[in-house]
Amino acid sequence: MSANKQSAARRTGFWPKLARFDLALIAAAFVLLAWMINIQRTTDFIIFCIFVLAFDLLYGYLGRLSFGHMLYLGVGAYAAALTAEHLTGNPLVAIAVALAAGALVGVLLAPIIMRTTGACFALINLAFNQLGFFLALIALSHWTGGEDGMAAFFSPVLGVDFANPAVVFGFCLLCLLGSVLLVKRLTGSPFGILLRSIKEDETRSRFLGYNTARYKRVAFVLSTTLSALAGSLSILNYTFVTPSFIDPTRSVEVIFAVLIGGAGSIYGALVGGVGYMLISNYLPNYIQRWEMFLGIALLILVFRFREGVWGYLTRYIRKRGVEVAQ
Amino acid sequence: MISTIAYGLTLGGILYIISIGLSLTFGTMRIVNFAHALVYTVGAYVLVAVMPMLGGWFAPAAIFAVLGVIPLAWVIERFVVRSLYGESIDYAIIATYAVLLIGVDAIKWIWGATPIPLSDPINASVGFFGVDLPVYRLLIIGLSLLVALGMELFFNKTIIGKIVVAGLEDKEATLSLGINVAKYFSIVFVLGSCLAALGGVLYAPITTVHPYMGFQVLLLSFAVVLVGGLGSIRGTLISAFALGMVMSVTGRIWGPASEAMVFFVMAIVLVFKPVEV
Repeated sequence: MSANKQSAARRTGFWPKLARFDLALIAAAFVLLAWMINIQRTTDFIIFCIFVLAFDLLYGYLGRLSFGHMLYLGVGAYAAALTAEHLTGNPLVAIAVALAAGALVGVLLAPIIMRTTGACFALINLAFNQLGFFLALIALSHWTGGEDGMAAFFSPVLGVDFANPAVVFGFCLLCLLGSVLLVKRLTGSPFGILLRSIKEDETRSRFLGYNTARYKRVAFVLSTTLSALAGSLSILNYTFVTPSFIDPTRSVEVIFAVLIGGAGSIYGALVGGVGYMLISNYLPNYIQRWEMFLGIALLILVFRFREGVWGYLTRYIRKRGVEVAQ
Repeated sequence: MISTIAYGLTLGGILYIISIGLSLTFGTMRIVNFAHALVYTVGAYVLVAVMPMLGGWFAPAAIFAVLGVIPLAWVIERFVVRSLYGESIDYAIIATYAVLLIGVDAIKWIWGATPIPLSDPINASVGFFGVDLPVYRLLIIGLSLLVALGMELFFNKTIIGKIVVAGLEDKEATLSLGINVAKYFSIVFVLGSCLAALGGVLYAPITTVHPYMGFQVLLLSFAVVLVGGLGSIRGTLISAFALGMVMSVTGRIWGPASEAMVFFVMAIVLVFKPVEV
């Protein structure tokens, strides 16, 4: 069959029509999840999905594996908590400050970090993450509370009380939908296509006349800002922050989530985020050797199942869709 | 002052012994081997397990531990690293990290998670300009210099070493001479792993033996490898001792900052000399 026919089949099939209502479907899925399990826990799932989305923007689209993305999450978390303690109890201001802090860290580190690729990129992120962990745990412990962390209390905004789990859930869901929309627009735009072309062959993209360094920096800052958003939302949900928010040894969690879902896809990131959270929240109750399970699962993903759950599903559906059209 | 220098040299020596394997694996196979930290930890644990059986003697137990990790290194090389040879570097990072996770959990399963302290195996010190220096630390410095010398000789005088250097310089050309480069790279991998175990064994009496001891050292070793230049044998030696001194001097001024300072130095080096991978 020709490629033309294939794309026509894809456009008129059942699944593409469904894809138009993706935001509503995502929202419905999370509301259902909140109803089935605990609402606060589902909020946690949503927040993690935003983080996975931020990570996937670099890994899936630009092909840069960061091994220290917890830093940017932690920056957002601590910025929000510090704002709540010293400035104002308004949660919206705290989130705005966290976004600004995430963007600032991104802008400061991008010129160093985005010059590297491959292993060097992974390791330099890890090194900066370790530095950030040290700052939060020891150097700035006077402000961050060191190992004990710090609590953050937020006051109601216009009569809406953010101490209510349902309010936080709704707000986080809105943030997730906004992030999905943003990433979808970005990756569908020429900017996103350029990111993918940099992933394939950066020299060629540069040769075409694009200032690839600038686009990479923008992608990095977007990723750090989005990660900081996830961090600040966690504060809203938990009302406290500990150094575990910035712990570099936890960086593997988000990598695992992206691999489960399938890298380079927004829905894959959501599937992976929810999948990882379900596994990590419920499996340790049954399996004592949880880290061993995580390692074995990672090995299987790397050696046998690189496309992830969502990659597998889309391939399957696409194959079916074309067959139906014929 | 003298003790600060001695401490820096000890740290540098240990860092060199651990990093050289990482650097060689990266230089030859283009693989960032997180499992290196596992071999390092296993080396220390084997030492702890074997020492009572050998009547509490440190040296024979240390030799047993260094050689004892060979099967583990071979399994990692054969079943994980070799399959990822020539693939995207990201998959190697993830897979070797997965091996590290599995191994650390297995260690917790076998030996438990409580840290095991070890006493100084020599427990003597010599006076040097009025400063007492533990003999054990001097031994580590001497041993690391011996390893460095051995590396020089191995890569310049032996045929295996020369083949590996040729493979490092130009893999295609070496392959076209009919040499199975991968086989020699495996030898280098196992050799590097033995050195990692040696590092774990030597460092164990200075710190404590615990399942996560590899994580901290691994980060420092990566810093050494990146600062020294990936796959550079002499660069690794210089950067290991330089960073060891940096850690020791910083530790003298403000203890907790010593590790952070290493990453700070690494960031500065990478700003002025970015590594292309």
